[in-house]
Amino acid sequence: MSLDISFIGVLIGSIMASSVPLILAASGELITERSGVLNLGVEGMMIIGAISGFALMVITDNLFIAIIGSMLSGVIISLIFGFLTQSLLTNHVATGLALTIFGIGLSAMLGKNFVGIPGKDFPILFSSLRESIPFFGPILFGHSIVLYFAFALPFLTNYFLKKTKLGLVVRAVGDSPVSASNQGINVILVRYCCILYGGGMCGLAGAYLSLIYTPQWIENMTAGRGWIALALVVFATWSPIKVLIGAIIFGGISILQLHMQAIGFRIPVQFLIALPYLMTIIVLVVISRDSRKIKLNTPTSLGRIFYKEK
Amino acid sequence: MATDLRISNISKIYPGCVANDNVSLQFKSGKIYALLGENGAGKSTLVKILSGVISPDNGEVFLNEKNLKLSSPLDAKKNKIGMVFQHFNLFETLSVFENLSIDATEDNKSLRVRINEILKKYNFSIDLDVPVLNLSAGQKQKVEIIRCLLRSPKVLIMDEPTSVLTEQETEELFISLKKFCDEGILIIYITHKLKEVLSLCDEVAVMRKGKVVSVSQTQNEKVETLASKMVGQKLAKIKKKINTSKNKDEIFKVKHLNFYSDDPFETNLVNLNFSLKKGECLGIAGISGNGQNELFQILSGEIITPDTSIIFRNKEIAKLNPKQRREYLMAFSPEDRISQAAVPELKIYENVALNNFKSSNFFEKGLVNERKIKEHSKKILSDFSVNTDNVELKSQFLSGGNLQKLILGRELITAPELLICYNPTWGLDVGAINYIHETLIKINDEEKSTILISTDTEELLKLSDRIAVIYKGKLSKIMPSVEVTPEKLGILMGGGSID
Repeated sequence: MSLDISFIGVLIGSIMASSVPLILAASGELITERSGVLNLGVEGMMIIGAISGFALMVITDNLFIAIIGSMLSGVIISLIFGFLTQSLLTNHVATGLALTIFGIGLSAMLGKNFVGIPGKDFPILFSSLRESIPFFGPILFGHSIVLYFAFALPFLTNYFLKKTKLGLVVRAVGDSPVSASNQGINVILVRYCCILYGGGMCGLAGAYLSLIYTPQWIENMTAGRGWIALALVVFATWSPIKVLIGAIIFGGISILQLHMQAIGFRIPVQFLIALPYLMTIIVLVVISRDSRKIKLNTPTSLGRIFYKEK
Repeated sequence: MATDLRISNISKIYPGCVANDNVSLQFKSGKIYALLGENGAGKSTLVKILSGVISPDNGEVFLNEKNLKLSSPLDAKKNKIGMVFQHFNLFETLSVFENLSIDATEDNKSLRVRINEILKKYNFSIDLDVPVLNLSAGQKQKVEIIRCLLRSPKVLIMDEPTSVLTEQETEELFISLKKFCDEGILIIYITHKLKEVLSLCDEVAVMRKGKVVSVSQTQNEKVETLASKMVGQKLAKIKKKINTSKNKDEIFKVKHLNFYSDDPFETNLVNLNFSLKKGECLGIAGISGNGQNELFQILSGEIITPDTSIIFRNKEIAKLNPKQRREYLMAFSPEDRISQAAVPELKIYENVALNNFKSSNFFEKGLVNERKIKEHSKKILSDFSVNTDNVELKSQFLSGGNLQKLILGRELITAPELLICYNPTWGLDVGAINYIHETLIKINDEEKSTILISTDTEELLKLSDRIAVIYKGKLSKIMPSVEVTPEKLGILMGGGSID
């Protein structure tokens, strides 16, 4: 196989595509966690997004409705989580785990009639530029709009958290819900919003899988990506930019190790499969070693139940 | 404009406890009012009602004859009632400026200008762009005060503001409060410290068990009269018989105690040497942060330092860990009751079992003997007059005084030869302080020794036989307490010399 420059460009393009669902889900979860809520239901919300997006595409034959619908379904299922944890004060961890199990089961049931139906081509942008510019063409052009959105999202999230008033409120709630409440901030409302936003992003991440990345419905097609997204948020120490870096490393090594397997490297396949997990963790731990920064970025009240004194 | 705040017939009932019972009070601007009471007297409930955090079951609040509806903290803010809580309501990981801007209505630029004006006017020096967790307690409190001042309050409520401050910071606070008062802000000062009431406030209302029991001018009051109103009975004055006999056995001797740390938040200790006789109390005075924490941890075995020699009952124990030291009959009562001495989420009897792994028969074949531990805990609760007999209660629900009694009881019931305590009465009310002082004196009467590390000069003079001062990790000459006066201690604690 020749490693010419245009091949590398295509390779990078495919790495970017494979990291999109991780970026979307992790960025959403990051906002949720920054408000102090630990939602372990990412995997469940993603898979619900994947099936509802695909089902809506088949039924309505409209990709726009499918994408919006997948986000809405993520919002709705995260609303269950929000109601349980914020209004009924259930434990975040247990509720999140239940949500994942529920999502996987529900999606399998809903998806029964959609197995084997071929997907639809998702429109890609600037496809003519992709072919005409060597190397940079396949990297920068010819992707779906969701990919561009995903790569902008960590920067938008960073800007939101650091520069806007609402972002400040979210961080304050995650730092100390009691203080925030005493300052007159409606903690429950802020947390509901962050949970629903996280759900929406996870829904979109799922739809990317079933509508764009591998346009079809396969049972359990998220294949643990939700858990990776969760781990990314923690190992990236709640920094959106580091989430992006982690997602690209994970996506990159996943793709590369496939090529290595194809080439026939004399490395055990099991090790190659484990490689993306290993490298992502190592790199994120190394780039996040500043303990002061970790302390400042970690939502102090993460996973703790808040209730208002009466 | 003059401000007139009137509280009328406020009641608040929690299950099993009447926190506020028909409380009526009146405040006028231009004066500093004290609200005095023991822990649990209902002061905090009342101020939480005034600041809109909780709503009363009954009663009304009037500001300038306008009936206020305080159903959320926002309502209090809108009505210009500012509140500085005992446990700071700050966001530790956000910067000072972010903390202040979170509820501001103006843009950041003009807000910064206004904050700087306040900093200048009251002589506060705080870096606006560092995270709050890097600030000292005194600075954090100033941030809280600035947050109130930004809303130009008519009423400023301070809930036990000095419990975390050094003496210097307390003085600064009092100067600021007097300035605010002169500017026409009505100040309500919640405390259980009698001296502060007398030195700062113009009028004092005393609360006991949810009721207001007295309102008076402070100039007509003395420490004793206020104390008896607060506690509801006359407190017996306790005085220790000074232990002067020279021919007693030496039980504890520390030589060449040195400690060096890279952590800028820790204090290095330089060549400490001291010894202790049977039945003696050695007091170690000092302003907090001068090495007391490190000293306590070294004496208790949490930190092991090389080249230090600690002889206890003729044995070298410098290399032993806290558990082994306990087996040699040492006992420890750390400063932070909640995080160091007890596990707040555990039940009382579980906390009792924690430091008694070896003793008695709490554990059999690796299993917990709950019945024995509970019996033992019940005995501690009754022997040390802890205000409950429910050993199943989680420790976090005990008040500070009761928790301290439980901890002392747990340590003392093993009949140790040496008790090392660090600020044992920090943040406690008069009744509890009295009880703990009596207990500590009783230990000495029984020929057991104590090392009392404390930031409270009065306590040290009352309990110690000999006193030394720790300043920047160095120990002063050890003096017999009869020769020591508060002034002398003050000079040494500030780094001066008295010879």
